[in-house]
Amino acid sequence: MISWTLAVELARGTLTTMVISLAGIAAGMLIGLALALLRTARLPVLTQAIAIYISMIRATPVVTLALLVFFGLPAVGLAIGPFAAGILTLTINTSVFQAEIWRAQLNDFPRGQREAAYAAGMTDLLAFRRIIFPQVWRAALPALVNEMTLLLKGSPAVAVIGVVDLTRVAVRMSSVTYEPVKPFLLATLIYIVIVLALIAAQRTIESTLVRRYGIL
Amino acid sequence: MWLWSVVMSSARPTPVVAIRGLGKSFGSLRVLNEIDLEIEAGKTVCVLGPSGSGKTTLLRCINFLEQPDEGQIFLAGERVGYVGDAQGRPMTQRELARIRTRVGMVFQHFNLWPHLTVLGNLIEAPLYVQKRRRNEVIAEAEELLDKIGLQDKRDIYPSRLSGGQKQRVAIARALATKPRVLLFDEPTSSLDPELVGEVLSVMRDLARGGQTMMVVTHEMGFAREAADEIVFLDEGVLVERASPEQFFTKPQTKRAQQFLQRLG
Amino acid sequence: MRFEVIIAEWSTLAAGFATTIWICALSGALSLLLALPVAALLMVRRAVIVWPVRAMVDGLRAIPFLMLVFLGYYCLPVLGLKFSSWTCGLVSLTIYNTAYFGEILRGAWAHLPREQEDAGRAFGFYGFALTRRIILPQIFISAGPVLGNQIITLIKNSAFLMVITIPELTFAANEVQAIYFTPLETLIVAVLLYWLLCSAVEGIVRVMDRVAVVRGHE
Repeated sequence: MISWTLAVELARGTLTTMVISLAGIAAGMLIGLALALLRTARLPVLTQAIAIYISMIRATPVVTLALLVFFGLPAVGLAIGPFAAGILTLTINTSVFQAEIWRAQLNDFPRGQREAAYAAGMTDLLAFRRIIFPQVWRAALPALVNEMTLLLKGSPAVAVIGVVDLTRVAVRMSSVTYEPVKPFLLATLIYIVIVLALIAAQRTIESTLVRRYGIL
Repeated sequence: MWLWSVVMSSARPTPVVAIRGLGKSFGSLRVLNEIDLEIEAGKTVCVLGPSGSGKTTLLRCINFLEQPDEGQIFLAGERVGYVGDAQGRPMTQRELARIRTRVGMVFQHFNLWPHLTVLGNLIEAPLYVQKRRRNEVIAEAEELLDKIGLQDKRDIYPSRLSGGQKQRVAIARALATKPRVLLFDEPTSSLDPELVGEVLSVMRDLARGGQTMMVVTHEMGFAREAADEIVFLDEGVLVERASPEQFFTKPQTKRAQQFLQRLG
Repeated sequence: MRFEVIIAEWSTLAAGFATTIWICALSGALSLLLALPVAALLMVRRAVIVWPVRAMVDGLRAIPFLMLVFLGYYCLPVLGLKFSSWTCGLVSLTIYNTAYFGEILRGAWAHLPREQEDAGRAFGFYGFALTRRIILPQIFISAGPVLGNQIITLIKNSAFLMVITIPELTFAANEVQAIYFTPLETLIVAVLLYWLLCSAVEGIVRVMDRVAVVRGHE
């Protein structure tokens, strides 16, 4: 039914896709949080610059960004391979959406609790560490998982710059065997399974949040 | 009981809270004007007045949640917000935080931390701000819960509590840092009428037990019963100060009379 | 940085930009139109009708857009259906967005307070007229921002079509930068053009939102 080669290649492609997606998400989350915090700090020039940067990257297609990173960086002297460029692209792309998610949560955070923390003698840092952040990351979780799903759906863009992810494997296998249906259908199925798993995780997280803390 | 030791430690000649010449504006609106006030140890002061009279702002200046424009505030002799007596430098966050642990605050909307259990709320500041020992802190917190009658809610999250229960937990949370003075900002205004009683009852017990308190409230019954002194504010000015009996039966100033008349 | 290249090749880039705009406009309009019956079908109460539609919508929303493009581009010829890359690209973009728009409209429809529909019926509206005059305007107003977001996603997805050699903006920019070795200048210009386009869409959504507030929507 499915040849051994096909199975192996699909597995490798899936692994590559998952690795670059996870790396992109992890790095993107941290950078996104940093960007959001910088924005809430309200420093004069930096806040505007970050806002413009976020606005531009949010409007940029992943493919275009991938080309910019892969071909553009060597032009300024930074040699970068396709794999690293792929991760960097996905990171940059998701970090600006993550920044907006964090920013929404931080803005929405109830002033009253912040005041109670200050009234109890907490400094900004302690209040952030013990009161604000523990709640903000939990409340942001559904949106963050949703963003993970979007990142995964944008990840085939890296195939354009040479990363052998699941999509590129399917293309390769279809041209090698002259039989496109099996590779593409299987690849599609794999993507669907991963996305459905992410969506299920998101729903579970949401219901746990509601159950445990009331609607956060 | 530890409550006794709290009372003993606050029985000193210096007033617990001293306010001198306090002034505050929000933009062009003058919210507080030349307020002079002292709260002695063990006394309960109720601040009354029409809406917008600056009562809440006055309260929030004491722990520097609002920054006064003029005047000075002293907590047990130490200046709040600025270092030293004269034009000292503004306090750092650290220094301000230290002062705040000695002032307990109970908010109108409770402001419990929803991601922590009831016990978690109580031990949070003693553990992480005052850096005390965990077993000590937990033991004291459990005693407090006992006192307010909510020991069975120890491991419950605030979202499951009624308004009255939340506010009682908030009071216990404020007490947990063993403050010199407790500030109450309209503690029962957000509660359904049936739940007001349980909170006022806790506050009455505290007042009787000798806790220094400043309460902004509309509950005249409580003010009459539990206050040692009534402070009447109108349009940012301290209009009248009197004992409860005096204030409610023979108010001296016209504005106080009008206020009490409107209440019926 | 050699911006003379940009100026020299501006017609290529402009043509690519124009292609992006008209592909997105055409595809957007088509999918929005097709999304209406999809949303209606999803609201029907017979499971027999809803389930297959739901499966298709959810399936489309669970796969990367590029996979859909490839499925059409590589697999359809096997079934004997030979289409040009233009057709492939346009159709996949339309189908993909129909699924998303359909789900968005369904969500807005389901959220519409029942009283609105009842009030319409009370005044004698029924069937198609009810839908067209009472329900649809309100759905579009309430879903405005979300639809706007999806249009921006559509614009960004259109860039994937460069893979099947449709000469939209990213394809054009890539061609130019490959010939002249000016990746930064060319692609940054492309990014700016996408930014311009998406900002225009956001601007339109903001204007519409203001109209919506006037007309009673929070």
